[in-house]
Amino acid sequence: MFGKKSWKKKRLQEVSGDLNPKTVADLYAQLKDYPDFTHFEYKGSRFHCWISFFRSLVDVDYVHRDILSYLSEQSVHSLSDIQNRLPIEKLIRTKDVSEIQSKLLRNYVIIQEKEHDPDCLIVPMIPIVRRQVVQPEIETSIIGPKEGFVEALDVNLSLVRQRIPIPQCSVEEVTVGKISNTRVSLIYIEGIANEENVNTVRQRIRDLEVSSLIDVTMLADLISDNCHSPFPQFIDTERPDRAAGAVYEGKIAVLVDGSPSALILPSTIVEFFSAFDDYFLAWHIGSGYRLIRLFFVVLSSVAPSLYVAVLTYHYQLIPKELLGSLILSRSIVPFDPIMEALILEVMIELLREAGARLPTKVGQTIGIVGGIVIGTASVQAGLTSNVLLIIVAMSALGSFITPNYRMATTIRFLRFPFLISAGVLGLPGLALCITFFICHLLKLTSLGRPYIEPIYPLRVTDLKDAFIRLPYSAQITRPMFLRPGDATRSNPRRIRMKRGPRQPDIDE
Amino acid sequence: MKRKAAAALLMAVSLAGCVPTNIIDDILMVEAEGYDYLGNGRVYGTVTMPNYVAGGAQGAGGGGVPTTAAMMWLAEGATYDGKSLVDKFQSKGQRPLRVGKLRVMLFDKEYAKHGLKKQIEFRNRDPDTARDLYLAVVDGSANKLLSGKYQTAIPISRYVSDMIDQNQNQNYPTNDAHDVFFSYYGNYMDPFMPMIKKRGKHLEMQGLALFKKDKYALSIPERDAFVFKMLYEPFNQGVYDYEFMPRKHVALRNVNARVQYRVRNGNGAEPDIKAKVSIEGQVRQAAPGTIGEVPIEEIEDGMEKELEQKAAEMVGKFQKKSIDPLRLGDRVRSFTRRFDGDTWQDRYPNAHFHCSVQIDINQTGISR
Repeated sequence: MFGKKSWKKKRLQEVSGDLNPKTVADLYAQLKDYPDFTHFEYKGSRFHCWISFFRSLVDVDYVHRDILSYLSEQSVHSLSDIQNRLPIEKLIRTKDVSEIQSKLLRNYVIIQEKEHDPDCLIVPMIPIVRRQVVQPEIETSIIGPKEGFVEALDVNLSLVRQRIPIPQCSVEEVTVGKISNTRVSLIYIEGIANEENVNTVRQRIRDLEVSSLIDVTMLADLISDNCHSPFPQFIDTERPDRAAGAVYEGKIAVLVDGSPSALILPSTIVEFFSAFDDYFLAWHIGSGYRLIRLFFVVLSSVAPSLYVAVLTYHYQLIPKELLGSLILSRSIVPFDPIMEALILEVMIELLREAGARLPTKVGQTIGIVGGIVIGTASVQAGLTSNVLLIIVAMSALGSFITPNYRMATTIRFLRFPFLISAGVLGLPGLALCITFFICHLLKLTSLGRPYIEPIYPLRVTDLKDAFIRLPYSAQITRPMFLRPGDATRSNPRRIRMKRGPRQPDIDE
Repeated sequence: MKRKAAAALLMAVSLAGCVPTNIIDDILMVEAEGYDYLGNGRVYGTVTMPNYVAGGAQGAGGGGVPTTAAMMWLAEGATYDGKSLVDKFQSKGQRPLRVGKLRVMLFDKEYAKHGLKKQIEFRNRDPDTARDLYLAVVDGSANKLLSGKYQTAIPISRYVSDMIDQNQNQNYPTNDAHDVFFSYYGNYMDPFMPMIKKRGKHLEMQGLALFKKDKYALSIPERDAFVFKMLYEPFNQGVYDYEFMPRKHVALRNVNARVQYRVRNGNGAEPDIKAKVSIEGQVRQAAPGTIGEVPIEEIEDGMEKELEQKAAEMVGKFQKKSIDPLRLGDRVRSFTRRFDGDTWQDRYPNAHFHCSVQIDINQTGISR
């Protein structure tokens, strides 16, 4: 009788009806009951008009100062007079209802001569101020710029634009989301950014079929090459200096309105482990920190599983000096090493999650309770061994060392498959699991560019800013990974000319 | 593809129980094996496991399983020659015995004379054991050595292996299972092992036991170990005690010693083997009236002569027994084009060995 289709159709009819307003009158009828919608007739001495805007979107002070004060002038007789008189740029005069609607729901003020007159003047106004620009909270740095992105797209744009004051720095705006109509901005430098990359990003964003877009990470998931991968394929940063730095290199930055971070595309895996601080320190020291970070990230993902594999299957590998303390610390533990390790790992995850969910002040308490009370108590109760506690704590630290939070969660996640495979098959199992992940990384791409680029395919010139950071004088070329339009940052010939021939010292 | 991957995963997980585990606190790791020959193809075997003494975790209140201090640490019994002792004593084990951390294998002299072929070949075949374990010959009973009481509370296996290890850094030639197997299986060479003895409440090194293939043939005393090592490999930190005049000793601590071989007439009936040893050293211990009062060249010359003579005597003994622990045959082979290996055994006793030692004492300590 009733097929599925007809039922669905019926439901759609019932629910949606036709809610899109056809005329300005319809629009006002829909909005008039909302408490934050302001719609009133201005009655000046000579001229009457209707003014409508959302108090929740437009700063009312500026409406008073910049619009109403001009309306009362003697010479204003019509909408055209206002248009000529108002000292505001980009006034729009239109009869298009959909445009009126979309502007009304942004920071614009609509002025009409009569209430239901389709002829409208759209005046851009200052939006209500959201959060102030503050210090970045996730990617903090001790020295260097202290600005962080905020939720307002225009503020974020200005933060980036101020750093790239050239006409080639182009900003494209795309609207994403059927309901949310979120503004998404692409920033790149024409001539440096690879055109293919720009086209790919633009196409992927334009073709999105979503109803809403809340954050930049959501966008990252939607436009990523492989959304099933645990590895994030684009860097998200809340530092405008880092975003600008990436744009200079020839990357593309994407900003989403309402999101306090920028997306940098494309990215390689090594970049996730470089903090922007590295660039502010002397190159050896910056490189040293980078190496420490990479080493501990690797250690953190395999250390607990190595412990499990060696203690369960490969007792031959333990040095004789360690044997005693390992056996002693294990001897009162009733569980297998794998169970013991899983218990501790889950406990650490629990602590982290509890710390993240609780308010900051209580969160610190949780850290102390978890770290000291549960840690030592579980060892004394004989649930876990001392040595494993150290290893697990070390590896937790090692994963928190990752500057990018999304990558840090990935590193923490990786430990579990490693642990289980080590518990199941020992070192061969661990090797198998690592092989699996390496194969996955080999296949992974970021905007179609290889994800583990300086390593495979090997690009020796790109190694200058991967595991170590060479001094800026050695960073003459832009990353080959990006295939930039202009490959060099500075002209080597001119550098040589400026340096001139070598002058022997006076006592040489 | 997905189905295959899922099947592989399922298999890996469900077959996981089939992999035998060796959780370190659930096994007994055998660290020393001792063999005493009973005659007629039977041996008396002894194995020891280390015993970890501890009071459990601090504040544990005695909870959990008793610590390993309460574990057995020795098993012994008679078996046939060539049987794996760990397998033999498995039935006596409180927990599974595992052989992977084996540190020392001790053989008594009788067993060494009988031949260690079965043990060497069995141990070589076993991938579970490390190659850096020490094989040693015991002057006396291996069982008594392993089960005896000592001044130290450290497990006997550690005691033995630490003692051998630190001596091999000094006067004794480096020689672990790997070297023994190499010499045993290699052509034109014979293995040797350190010899140890229990004396009262302690152990001591007794020199080297030299083998003819797998059979004990000859021993050299501890004071000749320096000469042996000097001809065998480059080394430092050895000490040579030289009696300059009756009751006046000079002890040379070498900071460097090198040996270079030259071979002539390698395929002839009487090959010429020349060893050129150069020793740099320092003197710290000297009887009054030697260093500082006698020209140092005189002491050097005397020492050189003595070492040359001792080296010649030692190799002469080897040739008489036709054993080759110094791997001279292999050195001759490496110097000789189209080396005639088949007749080497007959030609080896007739080879002319000549050793020249060059001693350079470059430091004699504070003199005034």
